[in-house]
Amino acid sequence: MKRTWHRKQQLVGYLFIAPNLTGVLVFFILPALFSIVLVFTDWNFANRNSFNFIGLENFKRMFNDDAFRISVKNTLIFILSVPVMVFLAFLLAVALNNSVYLKKTLRAMYFMPYITSGVAVAFVWMVLFEPYQGPINSFLKSVGVENPPGWLASPATAMYSIDIIWIWLMVGYKMVIYLAALQEIPEELKEAARIDGANVFQVIRYVTIPLVSPTTLLLMITSFIGTIKHFGIIQALTEGGPGQATMVMAQLIYRAAFRYYEMGYAATISWVLFMAVLLITLLQWYTQKKWVYY
Amino acid sequence: MPAIKKIAFTLVLFLLGILMILPFLWMISTSIKTPLEVFAFPVQWIPDKIVLEHHIKVWTEHRFYIFYWNSIKIALINMVGATFLSALAAYGFAKLRFRGRDTLFLLYLSCMMIPPQIIFVPKFIMFHWLGIYNTHWALILPGLFTIFGVFLLRQFFMTVPDEYVEAAQLEGAGHFRIFLRIMLPLAKPALATLAILDFSWNWNDYENALVFLISKDLYTVPLGLQNFILENSIDYNGMMAAASAGILPMLIIFLIGQKFIIQGVSSSGIKG
Repeated sequence: MKRTWHRKQQLVGYLFIAPNLTGVLVFFILPALFSIVLVFTDWNFANRNSFNFIGLENFKRMFNDDAFRISVKNTLIFILSVPVMVFLAFLLAVALNNSVYLKKTLRAMYFMPYITSGVAVAFVWMVLFEPYQGPINSFLKSVGVENPPGWLASPATAMYSIDIIWIWLMVGYKMVIYLAALQEIPEELKEAARIDGANVFQVIRYVTIPLVSPTTLLLMITSFIGTIKHFGIIQALTEGGPGQATMVMAQLIYRAAFRYYEMGYAATISWVLFMAVLLITLLQWYTQKKWVYY
Repeated sequence: MPAIKKIAFTLVLFLLGILMILPFLWMISTSIKTPLEVFAFPVQWIPDKIVLEHHIKVWTEHRFYIFYWNSIKIALINMVGATFLSALAAYGFAKLRFRGRDTLFLLYLSCMMIPPQIIFVPKFIMFHWLGIYNTHWALILPGLFTIFGVFLLRQFFMTVPDEYVEAAQLEGAGHFRIFLRIMLPLAKPALATLAILDFSWNWNDYENALVFLISKDLYTVPLGLQNFILENSIDYNGMMAAASAGILPMLIIFLIGQKFIIQGVSSSGIKG
C-alpha cells in the first residue's frame, strides 16, 4: 500500500512540473544545445546552403578579430559600473534605514528608475546628454566648464555615459535588497558596539558590513551576470556606436547574428560570454571565505 | 538619533532623490512644451503655455495605441500563464517527492545563468522553421515559462507547513485539489508579486521584440518607441511624449503594487 502511494506521488510530482519543464526544455535547454553545435559550423543564415563543420575555425577567427578585442574592452568598462552601483546602493540603504523620515517615499523615488521601461527612460537620457544644447551640458557650461564632454556622441566618453545611465537604472533595485538585509541585523549587536565606544563609522565597518556580506556577495554576482548579459539599452541608444565605442560583447553577438547572419560565429562569441560569466561567478564564489561572514 | 540630525539627513536624501527622478520630471516637462523651449537654459520646469499637442500626436498620428495593445496582450497572457505554470512546478518541487527532484531543480537554477544571447540564434532558427517568426507567438510561447518564477514560488511553498498537505490528504483530497483549494489561495501575496514582476519583464522587454518582430504593426511599446525615435530624432517634444506614454503603465502599476514588488525583490535578495 505504501509502495503504490509512493509511486503515485512520483507520477503526480512529474505531472505538476511537466508543463513548465517541457517549456524550459524546448525554449531554453534545446536551443542551448543547438547553439553548441553551431559553434563548430560556419552557418550563414543568408546563404543556407553553406552549413559545414569547421572545427575550431570560429575560435581562431575570434582571437584575431579586432572587433572582438574592442568588445571585450568595452565590456570591461561596462562591468566597472557594478562595484560602483553596489557601493552606492549600500550607502543609500544605510542612510535610509535609520536616519530619515519619509522612508517609504524616498525608497520609491530611488526605485523608480528600475521599474520603468529601460528603453523609454534611456531615450530621455539621450536627450539630456545632447552635447550641444542638452540640459546637462548647458548646466556644466553655466558653472564654468568650458569644454563639456560629448557624452554618448563622443567615442571617448560614450561607454562611460552608458555606465552612468546603467548605474542610475539599477542602484535603486540593489538598495531595496540591502534595505531588507539591514532589517535583519539585530539592534543589540549595534547597541553592544556603541556601548563599547564605537562611533557611527566603526559600527558600520565592524558590524554592518560583515553582517550584510552574504547580500553583498549575492548582489555582486547577480549584477555582474546581469551587466555582462545586457545589450538592450546599448542597442537602443547607440547601436554600439559611435563606431564601435559602445559595442560590448553582448552587442557584438547581436551584430554578428542579425546584421551579418553569421550564426556560427555569433554562437561562438555567445559561449565565450557564458564562460566569462561563469569565470567571474566562480571567482567570487571561491574567494568569499575571505570576506563573507554567515 | 537626535531629531535635528534626522531632519538634515532626510533633506539631503530627499534632494538626492529629486536628482534621481529628475530625468522623469524633465521628460514630462519637455513633453508639454513648444519645440523652441526644449533646450532653453535655465530649464523652465513648468512652461508658460502648456502644449498637449505632442501627446495627442503620439496616440493618433503615430498610432501608439497599436503598440500599447500589442504589449498589453502579450504581457497579460504571459503573466497569467507563467504565474500559473510556475506555481504548478513550484508546488511539485516543494511538496512532492519524486526521483530526481533535487537534481532537476539544480538544473533549473543553472539554466538561469545562461545568457539569452546563447539562445537567441537557435530560437531565431527554430521560430523560422515553426513559422512563428514575426508573429506574437514568438514572444508569447517562450514567455509562458519562467525559471525565476519557479524558484520564487518554491521558496514560498517551502514555508507552508507540511501538515496542511497531510491533513488535506487524510481527508481524501488529491494533490491537484490541494493545490487549487489550499496552496494557491495561501500563496496570493507571492503570486501577486510574481505576476507584477512578470508583467514588468514582458512590458519592458526590448531584446526579444527586436529580434523576433519585423512588421511594424506587431511592435510592442519599447520597439515602437525606438522606431519612433529613429524616424523623428529631432522632434524632442514628441520623443518625450512617447517616452512618457511608454513609462506610464509601469509607473501606475508600481505606485499601486509597490508593497508587493518591493517585498518580492527583498525576499529574493536575502534568501538567495
